[in-house]
Amino acid sequence: MPADYDQFVTERLDRLLRYATALTCDKHLAQDIVQDVLLRARQKWARIGAVDVPYLYVKRMVTNEYLSWRRRRAARDVSSTHVVLDDLAPSVADPAVRHAERDEMRARIAVLPRKQRAALVLRYYEDSTDAEIAEILGCAEGTVRSHISRALHTLRVNENTPSEVLR
Amino acid sequence: MTDTRQEALIREAIAAEADQAVDHRTVLANLHGARSRRRPLALFAATGLTAVAAAVAVIVPLAVDRSAAPSQVDPAAPPATAQTVLLIGLDGSANTDSVVLARVGADGAVSAASLPRDSLVDIPGVGQGKLNSAYARAHQAAEAEGRDGDEAGVESLTRTVEALTGVEVDHYASVDMAAFSTLSEAVGGVEVCLKRASRDPLSGADLRAGPQSLSGAQALAFLRQRHGLENGELDRIVRQQTFLRALAKKVVASDPAQVADLARVAARHLRVDPGWNLVEFAARLTPTVRTAIVPLGEVVDSEQGQALSVDPAAVREFLAGFFADGATGAPTGGFSVPLPATETQKPGRTPQDGDCVR
Repeated sequence: MPADYDQFVTERLDRLLRYATALTCDKHLAQDIVQDVLLRARQKWARIGAVDVPYLYVKRMVTNEYLSWRRRRAARDVSSTHVVLDDLAPSVADPAVRHAERDEMRARIAVLPRKQRAALVLRYYEDSTDAEIAEILGCAEGTVRSHISRALHTLRVNENTPSEVLR
Repeated sequence: MTDTRQEALIREAIAAEADQAVDHRTVLANLHGARSRRRPLALFAATGLTAVAAAVAVIVPLAVDRSAAPSQVDPAAPPATAQTVLLIGLDGSANTDSVVLARVGADGAVSAASLPRDSLVDIPGVGQGKLNSAYARAHQAAEAEGRDGDEAGVESLTRTVEALTGVEVDHYASVDMAAFSTLSEAVGGVEVCLKRASRDPLSGADLRAGPQSLSGAQALAFLRQRHGLENGELDRIVRQQTFLRALAKKVVASDPAQVADLARVAARHLRVDPGWNLVEFAARLTPTVRTAIVPLGEVVDSEQGQALSVDPAAVREFLAGFFADGATGAPTGGFSVPLPATETQKPGRTPQDGDCVR
């Protein structure tokens, strides 16, 4: 086992877990995926360790694992316990309101289609460029932009749609 | 609201989601913790892979071989008694892909008899049916009533097997066959040899002839394929036995840390009865394993399509000999599947490393 595998895990594990959690909206699924991926990565470390950015490679493995059919059934079960508000207050001065807005946004992101959510997380959490996102998702840059624009559109439309779960 | 504000909100929301991540130290401990253990193979056994392996009754003894397990049995422990274990391979839903009745002697030697899933048997409370319908039927009925389908399935299958064999089942382990996809990937592929190329859209098998390394989906397809094989289910049993031997070889060759990880992967796909002390069980397993298929009759038509007739009396007589204390060598009277690649085959011979299979 090359020593730098251990080093990689030590340095990147936390970030991978956070990324996977943001991606899956399910910390246990995220843990499973990351553990599985790191186990497989260890097998292939001679090759992965030699690429320019191993983190990118492993992140791609995590993303693929999430997007792959084997996980689909588990991932469909999205927690929807967040409280949904009807519309957003124009003011953001109140931290409690801001907090509620954020949780509502979390809930809306959690029900986006998987590829759109992945693209969103990569751009807004990992600060990846469109080219990097395209590489990780295995699609064209144009497709990345379309995933993101559709996700943003959905999130914006939903904002103005009165929620039926309002009490 | 401007996009900029929306984007800021998205960033915050995603960051808040990411903050829910489990503590990385827990995961780190999972990944690394086992490296310093004194008995990695015993751990591996205890945490599940042993039972998975036993589930098809081959891996365990091979894996435990290297760990010299017998010498580690606590001399103060009460004397071990023989146990009978029902091993169930599930295809991910409620279909039993393989059913194995294994007897683990007081000396730790394993004798494992495969019960073909298409055997036409008497299912208590239901009537005649294929062996694999026992689990599925009970599972479905229980789920419809909001009960635990797996528990009901195991119970029904256990009663069916007990009624057929006259052998009382002490413990069970059920394994999701998908485990073998993950495991084969984790060990970097499992070497098998095929007599001829094989394609089957039902299982997804697309395999070429000759020796090859299988992992992931193709490994699973190899284990699942029944259609397009000369002897259907029986050829599949031989495939499973061959595959497991090859997998066991890779597992044994893995370093201890790897093995612990493999065990964790396996444990997620495994379910055993709550009363079973796996640690004790694993500690006394020995490398001695004998495998066989119970005696079978003719192919007959049943309400559920073609099935294999089984004579309970013949099965009981066979198992009495096969499971007898101190029994060794090739079993007699069981069903033998012809192994085309070898000239030296004899009835009851179990597949060996490197055998080419159908």
